[in-house]
Amino acid sequence: MWATNLKVVAIVLGTLALYTLIANKIPQVQSEVPQTLTLGANVTPEQLVAAGEKVFNGIGGCTTCHGLGTRAPNLLTDEKGAGTIGARCGKREAGKSCKQYLYESLDNPTAYVVAGYQPIMPVMTKQLSPEQIWSVIAFLESQGGTIDVTGDDIAKAKQLTPGASPGNSGGSTGGGAFAGGSTDPKAIIQAAGCLACHKLDGQGQVIAPDLTHVGSRRDAESIRKKILDPMSSIAKGYEKLAGIMPKTFGSMMTASQLEALAQFLAAHK
Amino acid sequence: MTDNAFVLLQAAADTTRAYGEFPVIGARQFVWITAELHLMFAAFVLGVPMFAVVTEAIGIFGGDDRYDRLSKEFTRLLLVAYSATAIWGALLVFGLSTLYPRFWAYLTAIFAPSMWVYAGLFFVESFTLYLYYYGWDRWKKGRAKLGHWTLGILLNVWGTTVMFIANSWLTYMMSPPRDITPTTDPTSIKLWHAIANATWMPINVHRVIANVVFGGAIVGAYASYRFLAATSDEERAHYDWMGYVGNFIAMSALIVLPFAGYWLGREIYQYDQSMGITMMGGFMSWLWVIQAFLIAVLFLTGNYYLWIGMGRIPGAERFRPYTKYLLMVLVLGAIVWGTPHTMIADSKELAAMGGSHHPFLGALGVMSAKNTAVNLMILTTFLSFLLYRRANTRPVVPWAKSGTIIQGAMFALAAGVVLFYGIRGYFVEAIVRIGFSVYQVLAVLSCIVFVTLIDILMTRGAQSLGAIQWGKMPPRSQYALFILAVTFTWLMGLMGFARSGIRQYWHVWQVMQDTSKYAATPALGYASKMISLCVLIFLTLVAFVFWLGGLAEKSTFVPLTPGASPGTRGASHVGH
Repeated sequence: MWATNLKVVAIVLGTLALYTLIANKIPQVQSEVPQTLTLGANVTPEQLVAAGEKVFNGIGGCTTCHGLGTRAPNLLTDEKGAGTIGARCGKREAGKSCKQYLYESLDNPTAYVVAGYQPIMPVMTKQLSPEQIWSVIAFLESQGGTIDVTGDDIAKAKQLTPGASPGNSGGSTGGGAFAGGSTDPKAIIQAAGCLACHKLDGQGQVIAPDLTHVGSRRDAESIRKKILDPMSSIAKGYEKLAGIMPKTFGSMMTASQLEALAQFLAAHK
Repeated sequence: MTDNAFVLLQAAADTTRAYGEFPVIGARQFVWITAELHLMFAAFVLGVPMFAVVTEAIGIFGGDDRYDRLSKEFTRLLLVAYSATAIWGALLVFGLSTLYPRFWAYLTAIFAPSMWVYAGLFFVESFTLYLYYYGWDRWKKGRAKLGHWTLGILLNVWGTTVMFIANSWLTYMMSPPRDITPTTDPTSIKLWHAIANATWMPINVHRVIANVVFGGAIVGAYASYRFLAATSDEERAHYDWMGYVGNFIAMSALIVLPFAGYWLGREIYQYDQSMGITMMGGFMSWLWVIQAFLIAVLFLTGNYYLWIGMGRIPGAERFRPYTKYLLMVLVLGAIVWGTPHTMIADSKELAAMGGSHHPFLGALGVMSAKNTAVNLMILTTFLSFLLYRRANTRPVVPWAKSGTIIQGAMFALAAGVVLFYGIRGYFVEAIVRIGFSVYQVLAVLSCIVFVTLIDILMTRGAQSLGAIQWGKMPPRSQYALFILAVTFTWLMGLMGFARSGIRQYWHVWQVMQDTSKYAATPALGYASKMISLCVLIFLTLVAFVFWLGGLAEKSTFVPLTPGASPGTRGASHVGH
C-alpha cells in the first residue's frame, strides 16, 4: 500500500511541478501600475530607451497598429530592405533628421504617410506627455540608429506645452483641444484618429461603421450624442464592438469643434 | 472632477488605514490562498451534490442500487467538506476585513443584504445536507425515497443560489455597471443593479458546468485511489465502475464548458474592449498557451482512459484500430490550439521572428484555426465515447445499418461545417469571422445531440457481446484519473487568476483603484507557484477528508465481521 501511496503522491507532485515549470519557462510579464514618468535634465540615453520601450509596449498603444503587421509599418523589424525604424527614419524625408522625422510623425502624423498605408495615426502629442513622447523617440532611434534625444528636448517641449501633465498616464488630456483648436472637421478627424477605425470618403479602416454616408443614418443631434457617449447607441451589426470607441472625445474637443464635426458628418448623406 | 483626478485623490487619501499586512507571506498571498481554497472546497461541495443527486436518480428510476450506494458514499464525504468550506470562507472574510478594510467596507456598503441572505442560505443548506445524509436509510423506499431525493435537489438549489450570490460580488468587481463611477456613493447603488452586472450570468453558467466537471473529476480520483487500494475483485470492480462514472460526467460536462467560456469571453469584450484585449492579447496572452496545454492534457488523458477501458469490454477490439486516428486528430488539434499568436514580445524576439507573428505558425495561431481545432477535438472525444458505448453491443433494429451511416454522415457534416467556416474565416473581416464560431459550435452540438438520440434508439434491445469486465483495468488507467483531477483543479486556479488578474490594479474595474503595495498583477510564473501551492493544500485536505470517510466506514463495519480477513472486510462495506 505504501508503494501505491508513494506513486500517487509522485504523480500529483510531478503533475504540479510540470505545470509550474512550464509557466515559469514562458516569458514573464507583470502588469505594472502606471507610474508617473519623470525624466530630469541629466537623463541618460539608456534611461530614455528603457522608459520609451515601456510606453511603446504599454500606455502608448503603439503595438496595436505597429506591432501587428498590416495596419501600419512594423517599426521593430526590417521593411523592404530599409532596416528597422532607427536605421530608416533619417532617410524618410529629405532634410529631416531621424529625430525630427519621428517627432513629426507623432505630432503631425499626416505630414508624411508611408506609401501603401492609410493616414490613420492619431496625434500622439495630444495623448502622451513630453517625457513619454521623447522617450518613445529615443526607443525608436535605438532600433538600429543613434540616440540623440536629451533632457533638453523634453524641457523645450514642456515650455511649448506648459499645460502638459508630466506623466499623464494616457487617456484624458483634460480638455486640451484637438488640432490646436481648429474647427476644420477634417483636421479634427485626423487629429482624433477617427480613421483608425472608421472609413470616410475612401480613407481609413473598416473596423467600425463606414462614415461616408453617416448622414443618411443619423442626424447631427444623434452624431453629437454618439461622440459624447459612444455607448448611447450601437450601429446594427457592430454590437460585438460596443465599448471600443473611446469615451473621452467629448472632453478632448471644444464645443465649436464638436458642433463642426457633427454638422460635417451629418452632411455626409 | 474627472474620474482620473478622483483616483489620484483616492490614492492620496490612503494615508488612512486602507490596507493591513499579514505576517511572513503578506496580505495578498493570504487572501489569494484563502479565496482559492474556499472556492475549491465550495466547488467540491457544489459539484459533488450535483453528482450525488443525479446518481441517486439513476438508482431510483433505473432500479440499480449501485448508484444509490455510490450517491450515499459521496454525500458522507460532503459533511466534512462543508466544514472545510466554511472555515476557509471565514478566513477569507477575516482576511478581507482586516487586510483590505477600505475595499471591504465598499463592498459591504453595496452588498450587505445579499451577504445576510448568503449566510442564511449556508445555514439552511447545511441542515438540508444533514437531513439528506442521515435520512438516507430511513427514507429509502417508495414515496419517502422520492422525498429524500427532493432533499438532494433542494441541497443543490441552495448551493447554486449561494454560489450565484457570491458570483455577483466578484463579477461586480470585474464589470460594475457603466453608470457607476469613482465618485458614486456606494450606498446609493441599488443592490439588484450591482448584482445583475454584465458578467454575472456568464460566470454563473460557466461555474455551474465547471462544478459538474470538478465534482466528476474528484469522484474519479477518489475511486481510482480506492481501486488501487482494493483488496478484492469485487471492490476493484466497484471502484472501477465509480471511476468510469466520474470520468464520464466530468468529460461530458467538459465538452460544453468551452461554449460557456466563449460566452463569458464575449461578454467581457462587449463590456470593455480594453479588458478583453488585456485578457487575450495583452500581458495575459501567454496564459492561454498554458491553458491550451492543460486542455490538451485533459482531452488526451480522458480519451486515453476510455481507450484503455475498452480493453475490458468484449467486442471493443473491433474499434481499436480507429484509436490511432483519433489520437492523431487530438494531437494535431492540441498543437494548433497551443500555437501563440498575439503575444507580447520584445524587440529582439520580434526581430528574430521577422514580425509580430511567425511567418508560418502565425496563420495557425488565429481564432479561425483555434476554433476549428477545439471543435474537432470535441467531436473526436464524442466519437471516443460513442465507440465505448457501442463496444459490447450489436444493434438489432432493422434500420441499424442506415442509422450508422446517418450517424457517420452527421459527423462528416459537422466536421465539414467546422472546417469550412475555419478556412473561410481567413478571408473575411474580423466582425464577420467572430460570427462563424457560432455556426461551428452549433454544428458540433447538433451532431452530439442527434447522433446520441439515434444511438439510444438504435441500441434498444441490442445484442450483447458480453458484460463489461469491471475491475479488469491496468493501474495506469487509474493514474490517468489522478492526472485528470490534478489538472482540472490546477486549471480552475489558473482561470481564477485570469478572471481576477484582468482587473489589473483595480479592486473594482475603473471605480476603485488598488493603491496597496500589491497592486501590480504578478507574472504567470509567480501565479503558477501560488496555484500549485493552493492545489497541493486542497488535495492534501481532500485526501484527509477521504481518509476520515474511510475511518467512519471501518468503525461501522469492522465489528460486524470480527474474524474477517482484510480482503473480505473490504468487500462488505457501504461502498458496495
